Amino acid sequence: MANTAVVDSAQSMLDDLRGRYLTFNIGEVSYGLELYHVIEIIGMQPITKVPNLPDYIKGITNLRGRVVPIIDVRLKFGQPERDYDDKTCIIVTTIDDMNVGLIVDEVSDVITLDEQASAPPPGFGAASADRYLSSIAQVGDRVVMNIDIVKFFQNDLPQ
Amino acid sequence: MAIDASMEPMLEVFIFETTTLLEQLDKIVLGAEKTRSFENSGINEIFRIMHTIKGSAAMMDFTSIAALAHAVEDVFFIIREHPDALGSVSENLFDLVFLASDYLKEEMEAVQAFHETRGNPQNLIDQLSRLASLLKGEEVPPDAVGTDLPASVPAPAPEATPVVAAPAGQRYRLRVRYEEGCQMENIRAFMLITQLEDLCDELISIPDRPESDASLSADIIRDGLILIFTPAAGVSLDEIYAVIEAAVNIESYELLDAEAPLDDFEAVHISTADGPTEDDIPREEVTPAQAARAMLPGSGRQQSLISVHQYKLDQLMDLMGELVTTESMVINNVDLRDMRLDNFSKSARELRKLTDELQDVVMSIRMVPLSGVFQRMQRIARDVSKKLDKQVELITLGGETEVDKTINDAIGDPFMHMVRNSVDHGIEDPQTRRRLGKPEVGRIVMEAKNVGGEIVITISDDGKGLDADKILDKARRNGLLTKPESEYSKTEIYNLIMLPGFSTNQAVTEFSGRGVGMDVVRQNIEKVGGSINIDSTPNEGSTFTIKIPLTLAIVDGMELAVGDTIFTLPITSIQQSFKVNDPKQILYNTDGSEMILLRGKCFPIIRLHRIFNFETEITDITEGILILVEGAREEACIFVDELLGEQQVVVKPFPPFLSKYAVKRMGLSGCTILGDGTISLILDANNLLAQHH
Repeated sequence: MANTAVVDSAQSMLDDLRGRYLTFNIGEVSYGLELYHVIEIIGMQPITKVPNLPDYIKGITNLRGRVVPIIDVRLKFGQPERDYDDKTCIIVTTIDDMNVGLIVDEVSDVITLDEQASAPPPGFGAASADRYLSSIAQVGDRVVMNIDIVKFFQNDLPQ
Repeated sequence: MAIDASMEPMLEVFIFETTTLLEQLDKIVLGAEKTRSFENSGINEIFRIMHTIKGSAAMMDFTSIAALAHAVEDVFFIIREHPDALGSVSENLFDLVFLASDYLKEEMEAVQAFHETRGNPQNLIDQLSRLASLLKGEEVPPDAVGTDLPASVPAPAPEATPVVAAPAGQRYRLRVRYEEGCQMENIRAFMLITQLEDLCDELISIPDRPESDASLSADIIRDGLILIFTPAAGVSLDEIYAVIEAAVNIESYELLDAEAPLDDFEAVHISTADGPTEDDIPREEVTPAQAARAMLPGSGRQQSLISVHQYKLDQLMDLMGELVTTESMVINNVDLRDMRLDNFSKSARELRKLTDELQDVVMSIRMVPLSGVFQRMQRIARDVSKKLDKQVELITLGGETEVDKTINDAIGDPFMHMVRNSVDHGIEDPQTRRRLGKPEVGRIVMEAKNVGGEIVITISDDGKGLDADKILDKARRNGLLTKPESEYSKTEIYNLIMLPGFSTNQAVTEFSGRGVGMDVVRQNIEKVGGSINIDSTPNEGSTFTIKIPLTLAIVDGMELAVGDTIFTLPITSIQQSFKVNDPKQILYNTDGSEMILLRGKCFPIIRLHRIFNFETEITDITEGILILVEGAREEACIFVDELLGEQQVVVKPFPPFLSKYAVKRMGLSGCTILGDGTISLILDANNLLAQHH
């Protein structure tokens, strides 16, 4: 009985994360990432370059003994590179039991979205950055583009 | 019969012990099968092995295993007493012992996975006991199943029988088989039984009441529907046959036997269904003297081996890795830089020496000889060649070569596949071989050698070799070609067979050719940091060369700097390092690439910053340093900014996220975390030099 209670509470904690998004900025645009996939946010780290990778994979870094690949979201979205500053940080995400770090210009806050407030992305954007989006939400006076992490990593995940 | 919780700690030991014993058993029997005779020591050894298995299985309450072990033991008991009897039954004997050994191995896996036994060895036990009777020279009617068993079995528990009292009259046993795929066999059986009931005084079916459970269809498909009946007065057997013939979808029926006493049949039947019961009785037949003899080889000897759970060794290895990293963290600590610390340095050297030694010991604990894997291959070669009616001799050399346990475990399956492939696709059948003027017995040679920091294992056969045109053709059809056909070299063509979804055999056989073959082999070998190469000459055979690292975990490396990046080059591949003082020493090839003449030999120069496209300020050849490295096939000098010093590093694989980008083929085998927390990339001389071409 005690065990099921623990499992239940763990499950409900995960359920609590559903619908909650971590928002971050790339330039002027605000993006959202499902909190469910976020492990932690760390400052910039020394990154070891690895040859033969696409531009947007900056290399690998040592996260407490784990070797984690780092992706520059700016470059992944095809936007011009800019120097990292003290607001630049790395969002460590998890997908398929792998950790991947995402470099973003700055992290803003965590928001809760309900399904009704968000609209699906336009269907024609297959070639542009919005092919990674799951929905677009209006929160107060700003618009948050929610990233579908599976689509985002699709080209990089091992087949 | 799941085991008791209190027994769990014993279970691991039991599985380990039994598996080891079974491997020994295979080895002895394989050897004996070759010479067609048993050495005395071999018989004793088998007897002892079976006795031990029986004893521990009984202790663990795995009665079916104990029963089977007992049956094998019985056979060898007789052989030991009457070695002459062996001649008449040997072929059968070897097969049966192998079957028993396979059965036990499967059960071991079941026990490991589910903590209980899964199968019913009764059939094997019956065969073995029949063999035992034959050996004893007893007159055995050929169809009497397990003659000596029912005699020693007490009358079966009456409630277990679905039968009512036996009336008089001739009793028949009939097997009815339904057409394949006619569906609902159980219902059809039920209908037939209802039809026959009127014609019989008594009718029993196996399975009983088939209509009650649809899953009984499977039994009927496998064993047929068995009817045991006594025709009613005035009804002839022919009338019954007529009814059966009139029923639809019946493929065939046969009269198994006519037997008078039903009780006897039931006795046999019950004992077959309920294996464990007869185990207790025959076991008492083991005389004390016999038991004492069986115990003899093991007793009184000093036990100097202990078995350790691999998990603990893995843990030890991990800790060792941490220790090496931490040690370099302390010794190369930034706080200590530029300080004169004579005593500290002295102690640090001591510490280094000890950790080195400790590491060697930890490594050696994990090393196991390849002979175990080779042994299993013998078994595979034997089984496959027997099934395919080919004659194959597998010669293994260098079985004493040791590799890390993890590697040893990982290469078993790929090797098995390759040996199967060689027998199935490589070696021709005896007629063809005779026609080609080859010896009828095909030969597969497996050889392991220790070359530098690597183990090189070759598997070569003298079969028909690979057909380059066929491979190319197949690859074209499957859309696996990536460049014009004329540009493929022989080696490249052969390597095509290791691409996913490639299988040259048209017909899928039981052993190989499921289309998952060689690419899985390659994946498994690459997973442990190895590489595989194929060479082949038509009609002379094929050779597979597999190179695997001695150990995965820790390498002695030289730290090199290129710009901001630190590389680690395994010491084993470094021949020398030197500075070029005069740029005139550099020669230029016709395509402008740099070379250097060293002791009369010309080596190409590979600039790491250039091939990896890294930024560095040191591009003048006289400012940096050249390192002469040795790959598997070639040598070259690599140009780096500076040498940072020697260090032991713990190899970590690249995150799977990067596996898509062929980082390995670029010449990087993994990465490592240095004392200060930065990541260093580990160079792999073979791939580095190969991709330079």
